[in-house]
Amino acid sequence: MIKDKLFKIWVMAKKNINLYIKKGPVIIFGLMFPFFMTLSWVLGRDISQNQIFVGIIAMTTFFTSTAISPIVFPIETREKSLERIISAPISLNQILLGIVLASALYSLLISSIITLIFIIIFQGLFSSLLYIFLFWLGIILMSILGSLLGLLVSAIPTDKTSDVMLIMNLIKFPLLFISGMFTPLDVLPFPVVVLSCLSPLTFLIDIFRYCVDGHSFFPYQIDLLVLVLWIIVFFIANGYFHRKTMPKRF
Amino acid sequence: MNESIAISASNLTKKFDDFTAVNDVSFKIFEGEIVGILGPNGAGKTTTLRLLTGVYKLEEGEKIEIFNENLKDNQINCKIKFGIVPEISNAYSDFTVLENLEFSGKMYGLSKEEIKNRSKILLERFELLDKLNAKTKTLSKGLKQRANLCLALLHEPPILILDEPTSGLDPISVKIMRKQILEFRKAGKTILITTHDIKEAQTICDRILIMNKGKIIADANPDTLRRDFKSISTIIFKTEKELDSKLMNYPTLIKRSDGTFAISSENVLKDLSELYNSFTLKNQIQISDVKIQETSLEEVFIDLIKNDSTKKKGVKND
Ligand SMILES: Nc1ncnc2c1ncn2[C@@H]1O[C@H](COP(=O)(O)OP(=O)(O)OP(=O)(O)O)[C@@H](O)[C@H]1O
Ligand SMILES: [Mg+2]
Repeated sequence: MIKDKLFKIWVMAKKNINLYIKKGPVIIFGLMFPFFMTLSWVLGRDISQNQIFVGIIAMTTFFTSTAISPIVFPIETREKSLERIISAPISLNQILLGIVLASALYSLLISSIITLIFIIIFQGLFSSLLYIFLFWLGIILMSILGSLLGLLVSAIPTDKTSDVMLIMNLIKFPLLFISGMFTPLDVLPFPVVVLSCLSPLTFLIDIFRYCVDGHSFFPYQIDLLVLVLWIIVFFIANGYFHRKTMPKRF
Repeated sequence: MNESIAISASNLTKKFDDFTAVNDVSFKIFEGEIVGILGPNGAGKTTTLRLLTGVYKLEEGEKIEIFNENLKDNQINCKIKFGIVPEISNAYSDFTVLENLEFSGKMYGLSKEEIKNRSKILLERFELLDKLNAKTKTLSKGLKQRANLCLALLHEPPILILDEPTSGLDPISVKIMRKQILEFRKAGKTILITTHDIKEAQTICDRILIMNKGKIIADANPDTLRRDFKSISTIIFKTEKELDSKLMNYPTLIKRSDGTFAISSENVLKDLSELYNSFTLKNQIQISDVKIQETSLEEVFIDLIKNDSTKKKGVKND
């Protein structure tokens, strides 16, 4: 029974990956944006190798994880295929999880590959395997969190991807700018640090710094806990809002 | 008789903001029946189907039972009993026909083997084998419709829900589709079909629910509907001379475009004799070529809807 349910989630996820990975917004906002953002941030500036590495991976994970999940419902609303799955023997939760899984796997894959490339090119980034594992755990949590965030934005019952992408960017960029990615938290004044704590990205970057620099602003356990809490909050919010707005799509 | 009830719907209502699209609709559909929901555009047919298939949430007091199982409590069990062909194709347009079948099959819990075997049979039967690897968005409307039928039939559901399955198809495809529907019944399926085509309803349905403005205004078999409304037959005739203005005002008389005249009649014999009286005896106008036209279901339909509308305008709904 539970195996059947999980299988259906996997079928949904596979469908989402097959159909949406090549869509314009996914490529633009998932791959090109973080690439050019990084380029303009790094070029001509004196930034340490570790900081660049942390910044690139954090940005990649955050952007790729929020790429697929927000566009699935608008596209399927427009194409009417949403009605096919809503009237099929699968629960809304399974449908939502299928989207989260697809978006998170996409992000996990790309972020892991880029991390691996960095590890190979710049040897000695991590001083122990344990740090690599913690780093990767951070990527996993952010992939899930970002994809839940993207899904939440798509609870607006629209059939235009541009609508959700607009709102997505209105949320993503502030979260990125207050995250302490560009300036380490230790040198920021206290009120700004408090503001930073509103962004889950802050805690991811803090974990990353711990893994490559050996020290961080918060204990990494706190960082992990905060990410998990955000995941739980987004999880509940998604269930609540999508249940409310789904009937408005037909 | 001990027929089992396939679908039982009670007090279905659906509002879009202030607008009531489906208004307190109840009906039962027995196993093995073909029931047509007939109604003009915007009557609420598709909305009713969406309520049945669990697309819209049911409010307090609304109830749907599928083979005696409550839809609200057993969504998955109930939904698996439906094969749905929508008004507008809702297959994944970027998937091929085969990919759509595979996805649907897995969604409905079929094994790989079952999906493969059944797909082959269905695609053969609907002459789609050569379109197996074509993306559904490249198919013509008729082929899309057939692909949707394959998708609906794949898990061998006992109930078929077809939303205007013949609209927009060419006459040959329409014929094939109707034949198919009759074959589904032979195979023991229960079929709920919406249409605005009265002839279609008349030829394939065992029972017709006429819907207008969100309400079911008639529920009967096609023959009964026609019999009840036989009162309004039409008498068509020719005259040898033009009519003067007094005769032109004869009750219900209309001049038709082909020069013949028509009156509607509740009692053909009585009206014929009155006609003869007024025209031939009193005014010396011979009438000829008299034809009595039986009321078609079309006229019943229009009449019902017309009455329904005037009633709504005239009397306040309580
Ligand atoms: N999502 C929606 N939001 C607002 N109004 C809607 C919505 N869906 C349907 N309606 C309205 O509800 C009424 C019934 O629509 P429905 O699609 O059920 O009609 P129908 O009988 O299927 O018509 P048709 O023969 O044109 O398919 C229409 O007036 C329609 O405009
Ligand atoms: Mg309709």
